[in-house]
Amino acid sequence: MTLSPADALPVQTKNRLRQAMAQDRFVQFLLLSLAGLVALAVAGLLLTPYDPTEADFLDRLAPPSLSHWFGTDQLGRDIATRILYGSGWSIGLALIVSTAGAVIGTIVGLMAGYVGRWADPLLMRVTDSFFAFPELIAAIAISGIIGPSTNNMVIALVSVSWMKFARLTRTLTLSIGHKDFVVQARLNRLPQWLILWRHILPNLRMSILVLWTSSWSKTILAISGLSFLGFGVQPPQAEWGAMLLDGKPYMQTAPHLMIFPGLAILVTVLAINLTGDQLRDRLQDPT
Amino acid sequence: MLAVRNLGVEVDNVVLLHDVSFTLKKGRTLCVVGESGSGKTTLLKALQGLMPICRGSVEHGLDRPGATTRQKPGPRPIGLPDTKWVMQNPIAALNPLQKAGAAITESLHHAKLDRNAKQEALLAALGNVDLLPEMALRYPAQLSLGQAQRVCIARALIAKPELILFDEPLSALDAVVQKQIGRTMERIKQTHGLSYIVVTHDLGYAQAYADDILLLRNGIVEAYQASNAFFRSPASDYGSELIEAARVLGCLPEEAAVQPMTCGAAQ
Repeated sequence: MTLSPADALPVQTKNRLRQAMAQDRFVQFLLLSLAGLVALAVAGLLLTPYDPTEADFLDRLAPPSLSHWFGTDQLGRDIATRILYGSGWSIGLALIVSTAGAVIGTIVGLMAGYVGRWADPLLMRVTDSFFAFPELIAAIAISGIIGPSTNNMVIALVSVSWMKFARLTRTLTLSIGHKDFVVQARLNRLPQWLILWRHILPNLRMSILVLWTSSWSKTILAISGLSFLGFGVQPPQAEWGAMLLDGKPYMQTAPHLMIFPGLAILVTVLAINLTGDQLRDRLQDPT
Repeated sequence: MLAVRNLGVEVDNVVLLHDVSFTLKKGRTLCVVGESGSGKTTLLKALQGLMPICRGSVEHGLDRPGATTRQKPGPRPIGLPDTKWVMQNPIAALNPLQKAGAAITESLHHAKLDRNAKQEALLAALGNVDLLPEMALRYPAQLSLGQAQRVCIARALIAKPELILFDEPLSALDAVVQKQIGRTMERIKQTHGLSYIVVTHDLGYAQAYADDILLLRNGIVEAYQASNAFFRSPASDYGSELIEAARVLGCLPEEAAVQPMTCGAAQ
């Protein structure tokens, strides 16, 4: 019964987040560029004179110019405008999907880890069976079976993304559930839901945040990938993956149809991934 | 009054406690001493229902007919009534994301008190453990170990228990703080008429504050004596060995004179 040095370390994660943001130029840069991307998208949507779905057959496949910064596609639609609209799908929808996955997975993990008894094996076997399929292939299969549409893609993506959260939350819940402060709460006869809500969940939040950022960027790729394969967002909606698909036949003659949506995916995913990595380095609990 | 009779605890056929019996009267302090792994903490856990009892019984509240609980082998609810537990590592015993005040008032979760009453109880409890009211707003990481242990004691005290179990309450603290908290514990005991069971390595503390000593080794009671008798002539060889070792290390005065002094304070 001795004290390890780690027990004496301040573990106040709120301050750690603030510290990481205040001191680290790289994290600031990443967060600023993420905010910049969002601001750019909103500002662009308000300022652009074009409609993302309106065809202009007189101006097909035009290369980048002053009036069409990223050129136009095979139907004469302004690519820059479509990329801005597409950010709603890619960033916004991916955010919703990964958040839904995080919420479901966290609830499952908390139940499995804290309630234990029959709930743990049951929930974890369900999790394992979802884990048994490769993520993207399972998503393709699910959206293929229930039919290609945006709603079905969301269902497919949520159903393959929650398991990581369930596993992580269960493991951490098991270790935190045995800590002295939880024992004290149990001795005070707090209801189980309150112990989970007040004592366990807050102590998991940094780990969940880190996993959530990586889930977010993966979901952006998955949405683009599914849309590229025709299972996701349907034309004429502007979505980055669907735009890549649209541009594929013109790859040789008008490469800007694919370059700019591709760059948009690259920059966004990179920014989110790097932010997640930095957060992981600075915030994740040593447990 | 607490009466423990022939208590036995086994986990996976390993005997952790064997035939432990003692009684604790109101207002008295029982010090449980013994080496690591001797079952001291197991005893507290068994009392609190965190470990199953295999044999024997625990009876609590014997002096108040109608309020007596008797716990026997088999499934039972966790926690003895009117009993609180102060743990060894005060930082680990506090949620890092919960302010001290919230941690303390959590003991009143089932008490039907309104906000103001809880606030008053909190201020009283903080005063009792010599903490300033503004400490209630601090997070554990902003408290020193000594302050954190005081918060833990306040958390136990606010529920108006009859009995507080201390699991090595001083061993995480440095010498000066050990002495201060030892005194605070004693004062609180006197003013609130509490009983204590204190698990400790610190024979100096035991000699200063204990009424009775329970010496455990490998889950077996080696000695159960009044404190004075134990330090004069321990009932087992192991007991004299321990006392001798503590004297050599300077944790106990050469003479068995009763002085309020803890191990660290002698250095």
